Amino acid sequence: MTSTAMRTDFADAARGLLRRPLRSLLSSLGIGIGVTALITMLAISEGAGRATLARIDSLGLDTLRLERVEPAEGKAMVGRSGDLFLEEVSDLQNWLGSRGVVGAFVRQDGVVVSSADRAVSATVIGVNIEWFAAEKIELARGRSLDQQDLAGQRPYAILGSGLASQLQVDPLATLRYGGHGGQPVSVVGVAVAKGRLLTEGTGLSALDFDTLLILPISAVAFRGGSSGRLAVDGLVISLHEPGTVLGIAEQLETLLQAGHRQPGDFRTVVPLTLLDQARESQRLFAFIMGAIAGLSLLVGGIGVMNIMLANIAEQTREIGLRLAVGASPGRIVSLYLANAVLLTFSGGLWGVVSGVLLALVVEHQAGWEVYFSPTALLVAPMAAIFTGLLFGLHPAVRAAALNPAQALRDT
Amino acid sequence: MLLLEARALSRSFAAAGVVQTVLAAVSVQLAAGEFLVITGPSGSGKSTLLNLLSGLDQPTAGEVRFRGQLLATLSATAIARLRNASFGHIFQTPHLLPDRTVEENVALPFQYGSACPKATMEARVSELLTYVGLEEMARRRVANLSGGEMQRVVFARALVRQPEVIFADEPTGSLDAANSQRILQLLQRQTEEGRAVVLVTHDPQVAACGTARVHLEKLPLPEEVRQ
Repeated sequence: MTSTAMRTDFADAARGLLRRPLRSLLSSLGIGIGVTALITMLAISEGAGRATLARIDSLGLDTLRLERVEPAEGKAMVGRSGDLFLEEVSDLQNWLGSRGVVGAFVRQDGVVVSSADRAVSATVIGVNIEWFAAEKIELARGRSLDQQDLAGQRPYAILGSGLASQLQVDPLATLRYGGHGGQPVSVVGVAVAKGRLLTEGTGLSALDFDTLLILPISAVAFRGGSSGRLAVDGLVISLHEPGTVLGIAEQLETLLQAGHRQPGDFRTVVPLTLLDQARESQRLFAFIMGAIAGLSLLVGGIGVMNIMLANIAEQTREIGLRLAVGASPGRIVSLYLANAVLLTFSGGLWGVVSGVLLALVVEHQAGWEVYFSPTALLVAPMAAIFTGLLFGLHPAVRAAALNPAQALRDT
Repeated sequence: MLLLEARALSRSFAAAGVVQTVLAAVSVQLAAGEFLVITGPSGSGKSTLLNLLSGLDQPTAGEVRFRGQLLATLSATAIARLRNASFGHIFQTPHLLPDRTVEENVALPFQYGSACPKATMEARVSELLTYVGLEEMARRRVANLSGGEMQRVVFARALVRQPEVIFADEPTGSLDAANSQRILQLLQRQTEEGRAVVLVTHDPQVAACGTARVHLEKLPLPEEVRQ
């Protein structure tokens, strides 16, 4: 069939549909609702997926994170059998060798940090030197902490960029943190803004790098431990080869348990595993969403078929006339497929618009992140066209199979 | 020159388990420039014969040849092409697309079959509308026309592809005397231009216009129906 013939059939189909505007509108409504569902659900599903991936990505796909599980109420915080001590962290680093770095930290939230004229509540974190490499912290101003600071228990601090802005201090300023007048620390550097770890749903404590006061782990006032040994609250292990993460995570579990620790003493989070789980959940979610949207399109398609059959029953004489003046059965099929495609495509177009609007309303009202994938915006009208072709085919073939002489006699 | 030839045409219809033969062993020949009139009482199969000759229906038995080509051997697309290029149809009730203008209805056959340049198409439509006296109404919707005007639109449409045979099924049946006369004159002029016309009528005055005649008698009803 030539493009001119196709254009003619589409123009004829459009005029035919405009003859009964309400019927055509109602018919495209079914498909429009299906496409609206498809667009909205894909936007929500994609948005949720992206939020999850961003969260996991913020944890670092080449890292392992361990955090001490807070003991139940009434148990001693210090000297527990499950504690992990700083010298063990050094052993761990030796075991890991060139495969990665082991950052260790102790932390305390809600600590008052004050400059000469300002005071804010912040998280104070004591770290070993490797922690900077493990968390990929870069400095905007001043210098980082070094082994001498750690060994000398020097009260030097790095500020998160947000905290530095809040306190309006630069390197060489002196701050105080903690109660009873506070411990004095000298600011030696300010970190580049990094944002926060998206720990929701992982079991890890929230951590905003930009509001941290970072000190040498040996110098923090609230460190715990026993027999002169310094207990850490958690580890961040960054590996040079992301492919080794899972294997090292398993070995690490064994090592930790060998030191009389129970599996419940530390929470181990492997972002790579979370990523796999998230992808699996996203696939399942997308499948369910797709199935619901597919069902909506199916219902819409059946509606279109119904209307098409009604149109053909009404237009039997017109079909007979077209056949009499030389329309081949192929052209009759083309005409009625054009009818169905126009109905579904118009439904698809306004379905895309209303789907986008609905998804934005959901984002605004429910606070869910939504994302409009260009593929989805393209696939939805294509799915509508496909539905039109699928459900228009039977009525179109039926119209083309009419006997012209009998069709002309139709009353 | 022999254009159309039908041999031993029969047509039966099955309804409610009863097979009724409407047409039995009818043979017809039609040459270029000939005006063949098919007459007979109601129910004698006049329209059925016309439909079989024009390829709108298929016979139960017998054969129809156009220029020696057996229609039964042609594909549905080839028969459609033949109807478009070589046959013109005028029906008893004017079948038109009601939401289209007069000129759009006349140009309808150009939508199908072989492509035609737009200028040629427009010139042909305009020429025919002048021919049937509707040039002033080219842009009017056919729904607003009288019965006689509608039939003239159908007539113009039947001629637009310059067919070799015009099939007219009681074209004057719903028209007054003046309009009937006008249509008949137009048909006669077609035969003078070398086209063949096959016309169905039960009106003896209309039948008198023909140069050849086939008279059909109503076949008896099957035994089961008579009981």
